Amino acid sequence: MVRMDGINKWYGDYHALRDIELQVAPGERIVVCGPSGSGKSTLVRTVNLLEPFQQGRLNVCGIEVGADEITRASRLALNRKVGMVFQQFNLFPHMTALQNLTVGPVWGHGVSRREATERAMHYLERVGLLAHAHKHPAQLSGGQQQRVAIARTLCTQPQVVLFDEPTASLDPEMVNEVLQTMEGLAGEGMTMMIVTHEMGFARRVADRVIFMDQGQVIESAPPEEFFERPQSPRLRSFLGQVLPH
Amino acid sequence: MSSDTDSNRFVRVALVEARGAPVATLPTPLRWRRAWLSSPAMSIALLAVLVLLLPLAWRFFQWAVLNAHWLGNSSQACTDDQGACWAFVIARWKPWLVGDYPSDQLWRAASCFAGFAVFWIWVVRRPHTADLRRVLLGFLLLPLAFFALLLGAGVLPFVPPTRWGGLLLTLVATLATFATALPLGLLLALGRRSELPVVRWLCTAFVEGMRSVPLLVVLFIAATLLPMFLPPGLKLDLFVRALAAFALFNAALAAEVFRGGLQLIGRGQLEAATTVGLGRLATLALIVLPQAVRAVVPALVNIMIAVIKETTLLSVIGVNDFLGAVENGAKSPDWTGDSNILTSGHVFLALAYFLVCFGLSHYSRRLEAAR
Repeated sequence: MVRMDGINKWYGDYHALRDIELQVAPGERIVVCGPSGSGKSTLVRTVNLLEPFQQGRLNVCGIEVGADEITRASRLALNRKVGMVFQQFNLFPHMTALQNLTVGPVWGHGVSRREATERAMHYLERVGLLAHAHKHPAQLSGGQQQRVAIARTLCTQPQVVLFDEPTASLDPEMVNEVLQTMEGLAGEGMTMMIVTHEMGFARRVADRVIFMDQGQVIESAPPEEFFERPQSPRLRSFLGQVLPH
Repeated sequence: MSSDTDSNRFVRVALVEARGAPVATLPTPLRWRRAWLSSPAMSIALLAVLVLLLPLAWRFFQWAVLNAHWLGNSSQACTDDQGACWAFVIARWKPWLVGDYPSDQLWRAASCFAGFAVFWIWVVRRPHTADLRRVLLGFLLLPLAFFALLLGAGVLPFVPPTRWGGLLLTLVATLATFATALPLGLLLALGRRSELPVVRWLCTAFVEGMRSVPLLVVLFIAATLLPMFLPPGLKLDLFVRALAAFALFNAALAAEVFRGGLQLIGRGQLEAATTVGLGRLATLALIVLPQAVRAVVPALVNIMIAVIKETTLLSVIGVNDFLGAVENGAKSPDWTGDSNILTSGHVFLALAYFLVCFGLSHYSRRLEAAR
């Protein structure tokens, strides 16, 4: 589904992603964690070419892109297969929840308005927000906005969904409702790559957990192995800091 | 309620229901005193303003109403300068309204005024909030319709722009400038953000250049210099050249306003638009512009009010606009005489422009409040 071969990315002189080799199988749930500045967001944002890379090859859902083939067209083609949920929700403030959901399918995927509306209603119900369909984002709480954002991504029927720290901006009360929505999604077999600090969630949901530091993948293992028997010293010290005392 | 033996702990049993806010019960005289005479400095300032303004207001009222001359056909009616010469205004209503437009075709000019009045009433009297899109659409389409109607469009007898004048000309010039400068300004603002260096450089150079030159200079260049640069055989009417100058100048101002609005749209929204599959044009039309344009309405209205007043510069290059018509009236044989006559015309002009600009400014506040 997703394959990254020798991906290297620089921000100016700063080597942000170093020799990334990563594969995600269909239906697999990957959680990426690590200290801040480790490159986890950059990694995930490279998958849908929001961040370009300078070396390596990227293959997403059959679309192959080399470092010198990154164009607006290839970025758009990729984004038609991949969805993303942002830390800051990034809903369109001048549109209602329903319009947020239908604008992508109607204008980006050539779906008819009626079908797009049906889809939107269906997914709004899935995330439990059908009653709020005609509200603007400013009238919704953070947790509700994020769930609308998840529904918005689902409306475009992506094959992979990327999550960039989806609960980091939420009040603790609302983190749970969003995580539950994401677990429901995982339960249906959606391929997901999630950057998060929520270790409990990672344990429950992930097929594989990846630890990143200094722009490279340090360790990757199923959650059981990852949390109980970390191998690399860096991961051990990270888990020592992060897990509940 | 809590037990007061244990001061370290409190548990609320019955929730406090929300109550209405208390109504202010200050007696009226006290409220006025608080508002107007809140301190000795305020009282002195208010007194000073009244002392300065009231005599002036009274003198003006005497001149404008009490001693004014209302009837008459020539300067004989206004022999003294103690009162305004409204007879001048009333007698010259036709040239001031439509200039030299042929009398048998006046219905066309009247239709333009009526059309604009209908549009304005339809827009302003909407039961709920003001609608930005309708206003913009009207401002873009009306000038085209008016131009076609006044010129003749091949169907009706041709009336050259040199015969248009007065308020009609001002109305057409203003609307035409809105219709050309605003879209052009938007294109320039988008061009400044283009990825192509040539486009970016050209747009920036144009905007910065136009902003640095006075409008009157641009008008003079359009009036006198431009005909020399046009290809032989192409003669553009003075009015059309002046309109081009207005359009280009105000487009540069509008471009800066739009640029500010475009910068308001956060990168996150652009990224979200990409992730739901929207291409560049779709993102622009559906996400960026609706928000950017709505955000800069106050600044755009500023430009529009300035345009209304700028059209008076047309009189300087010899086009017979509202101001020009007034000036020409004072030079006509019937009305040459006291300078008070021309002054009355100017005061009338000031009142007319004030009404128009204030109306627009007032309506814009409703536009700002609209969703």
